[in-house]
Amino acid sequence: MGLLSNSLNLTGVIFLTHAVYSAYEHSLLTSSSSSSSSSGEITSLPLDITIETLLSLLVLCTGIVIGAPSLRPIQWAVWASSVEKEDHVSLEQRRALVEEKVRAGGTVGNPFAVLDQRNGFLDIRAKRREFADWVREGGAAK
Amino acid sequence: MSADLIQPFPSISPSTAVHLSQQAPQILQSSSSLSLPYPLSLLTSTETQETWMTYENLLISCLRTGDNEAARRCLDELLSRFGEKNERVMALQGMYEEAVAENDKELGAVMQSYEAVLKEDPTNMPIRKRRVALLRSMGKTNDATAALVELLDASPTDSEAWAELADLYFTQGLYSQAIYSLEEVLLIIPNAWNIHARLGEIAYISATSSESSDRGNTAKVLSDALRRFCRSIELCDNYLRGYYGLKITAKKLLDALPRGGKGAIATSDGDLPPPPVETVEKLHEIATSKLAEIVRRGSAGEKGWEGYDEAELIAARALLDKDEEKVER
Repeated sequence: MGLLSNSLNLTGVIFLTHAVYSAYEHSLLTSSSSSSSSSGEITSLPLDITIETLLSLLVLCTGIVIGAPSLRPIQWAVWASSVEKEDHVSLEQRRALVEEKVRAGGTVGNPFAVLDQRNGFLDIRAKRREFADWVREGGAAK
Repeated sequence: MSADLIQPFPSISPSTAVHLSQQAPQILQSSSSLSLPYPLSLLTSTETQETWMTYENLLISCLRTGDNEAARRCLDELLSRFGEKNERVMALQGMYEEAVAENDKELGAVMQSYEAVLKEDPTNMPIRKRRVALLRSMGKTNDATAALVELLDASPTDSEAWAELADLYFTQGLYSQAIYSLEEVLLIIPNAWNIHARLGEIAYISATSSESSDRGNTAKVLSDALRRFCRSIELCDNYLRGYYGLKITAKKLLDALPRGGKGAIATSDGDLPPPPVETVEKLHEIATSKLAEIVRRGSAGEKGWEGYDEAELIAARALLDKDEEKVER
């Protein structure tokens, strides 16, 4: 998806630049020729430049739309279901999600999980005991 | 910088904590490069918001795994960046001191330092929360509850504190107070589906623990629990915790509701009457089929169905199996 949208965008930009440059050259040509023939008539652009401009814009728009990130669900329950699952994925998936969403200014996982977890009231001594028990049971061997 | 320290899992398992704290040396090393005096440091610093979130999470996971040295270095970084008067850093420093305290005397000293801070500035919320946490950790549950109630008097919109109060009441067996506190959380955050499920769980536990009381009251509490679970499912599609609760509650409620004669349970004014038996039966059926679907597709790892906790799936399967056995007999 990234490759497709990038190549479409690149093609669109190249053709748009080409069309703009052609139009500029054409206007120079007509103005110099019209001054020699001393007639003030405004000549229209050739059809191929118009078509090139429109097509390049179309390609560019398509590329940008394809490259846009996937839309977030607009129904609360669907969104809730998707973020709820982010709290139980594997470590690698979680890392990828954080990379993707936190960098974009969002959050990962259930935003209300803090109410179950309550870091402000974290009982650090109990957590340390729990960890020490886990090590004693041979959890570190895993 | 590591992504999983910016926003780690809400409930960190010991193995994850080890994994997180093992990253300490390289993160701490990368930070201790040369630093210029104040106006120039603004130009060269590369810090982002995530930098300090990483340090905070690293500090906590190092404390959990007992790596006090790395934790101290994280804390020093935070202290040198935000100063000793920053409330959040003060709370983290307090947490560090609680963790390294070896006996009750040292813990008492930490408590006294909290009280000294609060005497100077009673609005220091992070330290007030630490004080409650330390009281609870030392086993003084009553003092912790009293301190927390006082905190909530001063700041009644703190949802985290209400949730903690609910948990404190719950551990003491005061279910109706716990339910009241969680309802306060819902007034602040009405769409938190996990709090709805938690309310249902507490109501269910309170109904099952008080066996002796009259059937009418049990049915009333159970139908409250049923409604809470229904709401949590409404707010979150395919919510395993909600469906599990709905199934066990509906089953219990079918036993408690009187068969045949409708409206046999007298309701005091203002209360919703318990739902009719047919509705409860339907809800039970829906919950059973949905749980079966979640267990089947979740453990097969189908697309769109991954991301269920392994232990939760096993528990759900055990519940379904138990149910089937009964039908066969």
